[in-house]
Amino acid sequence: MSFLITSRRAGLILLFACLAGAAAAQSPDAAAPGGDTPAGAWTAPRTPWGDPDLQGLWTNRTTTPLQRPAHLAHRETLTDIEAAIVDEEVTSRNDRAPAPGNPGTYNQFWWEMGSTVSGNRTSLIVDPPDGRVPPLTPKAVEAILASRAGRGPADSWEDRTLFERCITRGLPGAMIPGFYNHNYQIVQTPGQVAILIEMIHDVRIIPVDGRPHLHPAIRQWMGDSRGRWEGDTLVVETTNFSPKSRSHGFFESAGTLRLVERFTRVAPDTIDYRFTVDDPETYTRPWTAVIPMHRTDERIFEFACHEGNESIPGILGGHRAAEAEAEKEKVKP
Amino acid sequence: MTAVPRGSCDRLACVALLLWLSPQAAAHHSSAAEFDANKPVELTGVITKVEWINPHAWIHIDVKGADGAVEAWKIEGGSPNVLFRRGVTEDSLMPGTVIVVEGARARDGSLRANGRNVTFPDGRKLFLQNDAGR
Repeated sequence: MSFLITSRRAGLILLFACLAGAAAAQSPDAAAPGGDTPAGAWTAPRTPWGDPDLQGLWTNRTTTPLQRPAHLAHRETLTDIEAAIVDEEVTSRNDRAPAPGNPGTYNQFWWEMGSTVSGNRTSLIVDPPDGRVPPLTPKAVEAILASRAGRGPADSWEDRTLFERCITRGLPGAMIPGFYNHNYQIVQTPGQVAILIEMIHDVRIIPVDGRPHLHPAIRQWMGDSRGRWEGDTLVVETTNFSPKSRSHGFFESAGTLRLVERFTRVAPDTIDYRFTVDDPETYTRPWTAVIPMHRTDERIFEFACHEGNESIPGILGGHRAAEAEAEKEKVKP
Repeated sequence: MTAVPRGSCDRLACVALLLWLSPQAAAHHSSAAEFDANKPVELTGVITKVEWINPHAWIHIDVKGADGAVEAWKIEGGSPNVLFRRGVTEDSLMPGTVIVVEGARARDGSLRANGRNVTFPDGRKLFLQNDAGR
């Protein structure tokens, strides 16, 4: 059983699952691609002024990754057993020793991971069908390389991501689950929808009153969002992103992103949330992710990230120490 | 532990599953850029204070060396928001408590380490009131 070396705990589950014998039951297909099945004759609630009511506390925590792991390229979904194995693996691995060369992070009790999304999908991305962020355009690759020419990974804080610097995860980064603090509060008034995002404490105030976008010259890290109601769905279109946007550390954009998001309450405790990234300057094709948001009764606390962000001096100091060490090696006879 | 339904699992598929990596399930900051996997530490120390700050909590401990000299170390944890949601308060980890830390030392050589595994001396993990990590 030499293949059971990655983790003893997951290995035991694996052994049980592999020996148990009966065929695995597949999850029922979702009503919409990647979406949650509406529960019977569900009627979405309305606010007193007649808009669909999305208000409340929501979480999108999940063990499902944004992109499909390469080794599961041929698998759009998992069986229930496989999903249980993955959930166990992901929600316990921080209590095990990391791989050689990896300093690890901290115990599992600091993490909030959830479970596999409905339908046991292997990625949050549903389009393209391979579940991966599509390739960058040659123009985008060139621009990114040019912006980093002659720079190391940590010459300055500006070489680190906006996320590490506690500025923002940008969009769609702020709407993608991470590893903890993935809680959201939605509050509505006639004409506005506000979304408080616990991670990095971003707040989005989205007009739904038909006003036009800001002047194209005005660029913002989170862009400029405008919403509208289509039946029970809140459709939000966001433009005017900063040309320096680096969302979630790896979505590169020259500010040409047009993001379209759809929020539909499909059950008392579920919002079907999906977004499409349309940025032909950056990506070779649009791409779409579907991320269920579930009602939670847990509280959101302030995440005043920059206040105690000792990681940036720690990372820069680490690189300076490595450079000094390399210099010392060089002068050795 | 997660209940696993009865059923079969193709061996190759199971092996592939164990390679599962969730891209968003990396720490907020690059741990590898800040802490050196080649400088592992195992410290037993007395808590002097806990900074319940974001984005990461820091546990300060005094560690007595073999020669009797005391070193003041800082141990990095995760976001306190998660623990607050589970009912942990600032009184849950009081000064004077002895803890054992396994982690990696800061690359810059300072007396800082990540708290990869923090336990009480009898091996119990801290903060296990609830189903941690779910």
